[in-house]
Amino acid sequence: MTLLLLTEMTMGTESADMIRGTMDMLILKVLSLEPMHGWGITERIHQISEETLQVNQGSLYAALHRLTRQGWIDSDWRMTPNRRRARYYLLTRAGEKQLGAEREQWARLSHAVERILGLEAG
Amino acid sequence: MMRWLHDIWFRIRALVARDRMERDLEDEVRFHIEMETRKLEAAGLAPDEALRRARLNFGGEDRFKEQTREAWGVGLLHDLGSDLRFAARQLLARPAFSGLAAVTLGLGIGGTVALFSVVHGLMLRPLPVEDEQSLVTFWSDFDWRGAEYDFVRQRAEAYDGIAAYSLDGYTLRTEAGSTLQTGTVSSAGLFDVLGVSAALGRTFRAGEDRPGAEPVVILSHGLWEREFGADPGVIGTRVDLEGRRTTVIGVMPRGFYFPNPESSVWTPLDLDPDTREYHGNGWLVLMGRVAEGVGPEQIQDDLTRVAAGLGERWDYPDAWDKTRNPHVVPIRDYLLGEVRPAVLLLLGAVGLVLLMACANVAALILTRTSDRTGEIAVRVTLGAGRARLARQIMTESVVLGVIAGGIGMGLAVAAFDVLVASLPVPASFGSTLALDWTALVASLSLAVGTGVVISLAPMRSLLGGRLSEGALRARSSSAGSTGRQRIQTGLVVGEVLLAVVLASGAALLVRTVQEIRAIDLGLEPAGVLAVDVLIPSDPTSADEVAQFHAALVEQVRGLPGVESAGLINRVPARDGGWQATLTLADRPDLEGDSRPNAFYRPVTSGTFSALGVEVIEGRGVEDADRAEGRRVAVVNETFARTMFPGESALGRIISSNGFTRADIEIVGVVRNVVIDDLVGPVPMAAYYPWSQTLRGSGYAVLVAKTSLEPVALAGPIRSLVRQLDSRAAVGRIETMDQVVDDAMAEPLRLRFFLALFSVLGIVLGSVGVYGVVSYSVQRRTPEFGIRLALGAAPGDLMATVVRAGMLPVAVGVVAGSVVALVASNVVAGFLFGVEPTDPTSLAAAAGTLFASGVIAALVPAWRASATDPGTAIRAR
Repeated sequence: MTLLLLTEMTMGTESADMIRGTMDMLILKVLSLEPMHGWGITERIHQISEETLQVNQGSLYAALHRLTRQGWIDSDWRMTPNRRRARYYLLTRAGEKQLGAEREQWARLSHAVERILGLEAG
Repeated sequence: MMRWLHDIWFRIRALVARDRMERDLEDEVRFHIEMETRKLEAAGLAPDEALRRARLNFGGEDRFKEQTREAWGVGLLHDLGSDLRFAARQLLARPAFSGLAAVTLGLGIGGTVALFSVVHGLMLRPLPVEDEQSLVTFWSDFDWRGAEYDFVRQRAEAYDGIAAYSLDGYTLRTEAGSTLQTGTVSSAGLFDVLGVSAALGRTFRAGEDRPGAEPVVILSHGLWEREFGADPGVIGTRVDLEGRRTTVIGVMPRGFYFPNPESSVWTPLDLDPDTREYHGNGWLVLMGRVAEGVGPEQIQDDLTRVAAGLGERWDYPDAWDKTRNPHVVPIRDYLLGEVRPAVLLLLGAVGLVLLMACANVAALILTRTSDRTGEIAVRVTLGAGRARLARQIMTESVVLGVIAGGIGMGLAVAAFDVLVASLPVPASFGSTLALDWTALVASLSLAVGTGVVISLAPMRSLLGGRLSEGALRARSSSAGSTGRQRIQTGLVVGEVLLAVVLASGAALLVRTVQEIRAIDLGLEPAGVLAVDVLIPSDPTSADEVAQFHAALVEQVRGLPGVESAGLINRVPARDGGWQATLTLADRPDLEGDSRPNAFYRPVTSGTFSALGVEVIEGRGVEDADRAEGRRVAVVNETFARTMFPGESALGRIISSNGFTRADIEIVGVVRNVVIDDLVGPVPMAAYYPWSQTLRGSGYAVLVAKTSLEPVALAGPIRSLVRQLDSRAAVGRIETMDQVVDDAMAEPLRLRFFLALFSVLGIVLGSVGVYGVVSYSVQRRTPEFGIRLALGAAPGDLMATVVRAGMLPVAVGVVAGSVVALVASNVVAGFLFGVEPTDPTSLAAAAGTLFASGVIAALVPAWRASATDPGTAIRAR
C-alpha cells in the first residue's frame, strides 16, 4: 500500500517521482548507522548513493516527523561536534523491525521489476 | 498496541505543546539552512549567494513547514480553530450579506426540518399497537351493525381476531364535578386484536360485551393522572360514568392511544341480539388482525365470500350495499387518513425553497469572492496548500450553514404548531407530533450538508486549474471571471425556474380557495357559535333531559346579544351523521331496496334562523311541534326536487323505519345546507322537530346567533349548562366561521404555506438576479464610464444592463413554466374548480417572477447609469 503513495524526491537533476516508502526506508537505514540530524541525513543519502539521490530537503522534515509519530524513530536535542544545538534522530526498536520489513519488501519488488526488465525479446 | 499508544501520545503533544513543537521546527529548519549555507560557503560561494542557494535548495519554507505540521497528524483539528476564526471574520465583515444568507438558508432548513418531523411522526413512527402491519379495518366505515359484526366474525377466516368499535362521548362524574370524555366503545376482544395489555389492572374479558355483564371501564394513562391523581388504588373502584356505577378495571400504558389520542376511556359494547340496536342502524368500525402467512389474494377471496354471505343474509338498499366492493384498509392509512399527499407536497415545496436558498447563497458567495480572487491567487502562488484554501472556503460555508441551522431550528420550534394545525391531520393526532431529537439531528445534518453544497460552486471556481497561472490576469481584468459568471447565471436560471414552479402551484391553490369560497353553503356562518352539550341519559330520564334542553334553549335566547338559538344533532359542514331510509306515501314505486335515504336532522325552533337557513316553502320547525302533536318534517331542496319533481312537497306523507313508524307530514322546504363535504351536490336531508325524534338523547349541539363576538357567548353558555344540571357537560365549542374554514382547511391551509414558500421563492429569485446584475455592472463600471464620457445616454445604458440581466430570468421563466405544466398533476388532487394546467395561474406566476426580475435588475442598472465617468476611468 505504501508503494502507491508518491512524494517528491529528486534524482540528480532529473526530477522524478519517487516512492514515499523508499524515502522512509532510506531514512531508517541511515539512522540505523548512527543518530543524525536532518541535514546530516540528506548529506549522508547523497554521499552513500554516490550523488545519485538527492532528498528534497523540505519534504525530509515531514517524513521525519511522521516517522516519529509512528514510533519508528525518536529524537532529542544534542550538541553537534561544532557545538551547535541540533535535533538528532535515532532509530527505535520498532524502527529496526520496520526497516527489516521494508528491506524485505523492497527486495521482493526490485526482484520482480528486475525480472520484468530482464525479459529478452523473442 | 504500543505503536498505537505512541501515535496518540504524539498527537496529543502536538495539540497541547503546539508552541514548543513550532519553535523546535523553526530551530530545526534554521539549523538545516545554516549547515547548508556553511557547506556552500566552504565550496567557495560568497556568503550572500550561499544563503540564497541554501534557501532555494530547501524549497518553499512555508510549504514544507505546513507539510511537516500535517505529519503531526493534528492538522485538521488545529487548522479548524484558525479557519473558524477566519470564517467568523469574513462573515462579520459583510453583515448584510451574511444576514441575508443565514436567514434565507434558515427559512429553508427550518421548514424542511419541521416538515420532516411531521413526516417522521405521521409516516415513520410506529403506532402504539403490536405489529401494525397486520392490522386492517373493513370497508363501510362506522356502518356495521352488531348483528353484522357477529356474522362477519363467524364467517371470516383470514384473521386471528376481529374487533368492533365506535366513538362515544361520556360524562364522567367525580367529586370535582362532571367532565366530558371522548371515548371508545368496543367489543371485548379489542385489546387482544391490538396486542396491547393494560399497564395496571386488566383489559376486557370475553363476554363483557354481552348482555348481563357488569359495566366496566378502562382509563387512559392521561385521564388516570388528570382525574385520579395516578392512584393505583383506583382499580376495582366504581366511578359514575354516564350516570352508571362503573367499575374501573384497568389503566392503559402511557403513550397508548386508540383509535385517536383524544380517546380517554374504553367501555365494552352491549351486543344483545334481543335489542333493536343490535339489528338497527350501523355505527361500528370493524378491525381485524390478519393471520400469519395470509396473503392479499387470500384476504380478498375471504372478503368476497363474506360479502356474498352478507348479501344472502340481509337485503341492502342501494345506498349502503355492503356487498359492493369489499376491501380492507391498513390501520395506519385508516387512522391517519390521506395526509401523505399534502405532507409530501409541502415537503417538496420547502425542499425547493431550501434548494433555491442554497443556489442563492452560492451565487452571493461567488459574487463576493470575485473580490478575493487576487488574494487567493497570490496565496496559491506563494505556496499555500490548495486543500487548505478549499477547507477555508468550506469552513466559511459550513459556519454559515450552522448559523442558518440554528435560525431554522428556532423557526421550526416557533412555527411548528401552526404548521401541524394546517395539515389535514385528524385534529387529535397533531398532539402526537413534536420536534424531537430526530429534528435536531436532521437540522444539524441539513446545516452541514447545506454548507458543503454552497461551497461547491465557489470552490470549483476559485480553485479551478487555471487559477494559479491566471492569477495576475484575474487581478487586473475580468478575463478570469467569465467562468464564474456562467456558473452564477446558471444558478439564477435554476432559481427562477424553481420559483415559477412554486408560485404557479400557489396560484392554483389561491384560485381553488376562491372557487371553494364561492360555493353556496346554504347558511350564514357569521356570528354563530356551536356548542356540544352532553348530559347523561337513559330511557327513564327522557323527560328530565327534554326539560333540560328546553330550558337551555330558552335561557340562551335570553342572554344579551343572542338573536336566536336552537338545537341540532349535527353541525353543518362538519358532521356527516347517519341517514334514514324513508317510505313515501305518494311514491309506491320506491319500495324495498329502492327506498330513498335522507340525512337525519332533528332541530328545534330557532335552529334555522340561528344558522341562517332560508325557508323557501311552507314553514320551519316551530315550538308548536310538540312530542304528542302531529308528526311533521321539513325537507331540503334536493329532497323536494328529487322526490316530487315539478310539484310541491308540502302536505306529502313520509315515514321512516329508523326512529318512528308514524306518518310524517312535510310542512316546509328549506334551502340546501352543506352536509359535510363542501364539494359536490348536497344530498337529501330531512329536518324533524327535536321533541318528536331525539327525545331523551343526551347529545345535542346548541347553535346561537349573536350580534356580538360569538366566542364571548362561550362563558355564559358554559355556566348556564352547569347551573341547569350539574351532571351536564360542555364539549367542543366552535364558531361556525371556524367550522366552515376547517371544512375547506386543506386547500386553505396548503395555500397559506405554498404561498409563503413561493413568496420566499420570488424574493430569493430576485435577490439572485440582483446579485448577478450588480456583479456584471461592477465589472463593467470602467466601460460604462468611458461610454458615458463618449456621450452615451444613461437611459440606453440602463436598458443594456437590464436586458443582460433579464436573460437568465427569461430562460428561467420559460423553463419553469414548462416544468410547472409537466408537474401540475402533483397538485391536481388539491384543486377544486381549477384545471391543474390553468393558464391564468401560470401566467400570474411567470409574470410575477418576470416583474420582480426587472425590478431586481433595475437597481444596479440605475447605479450604472449614475456612474461618474471620471471616477470610473480612474478606478481602472
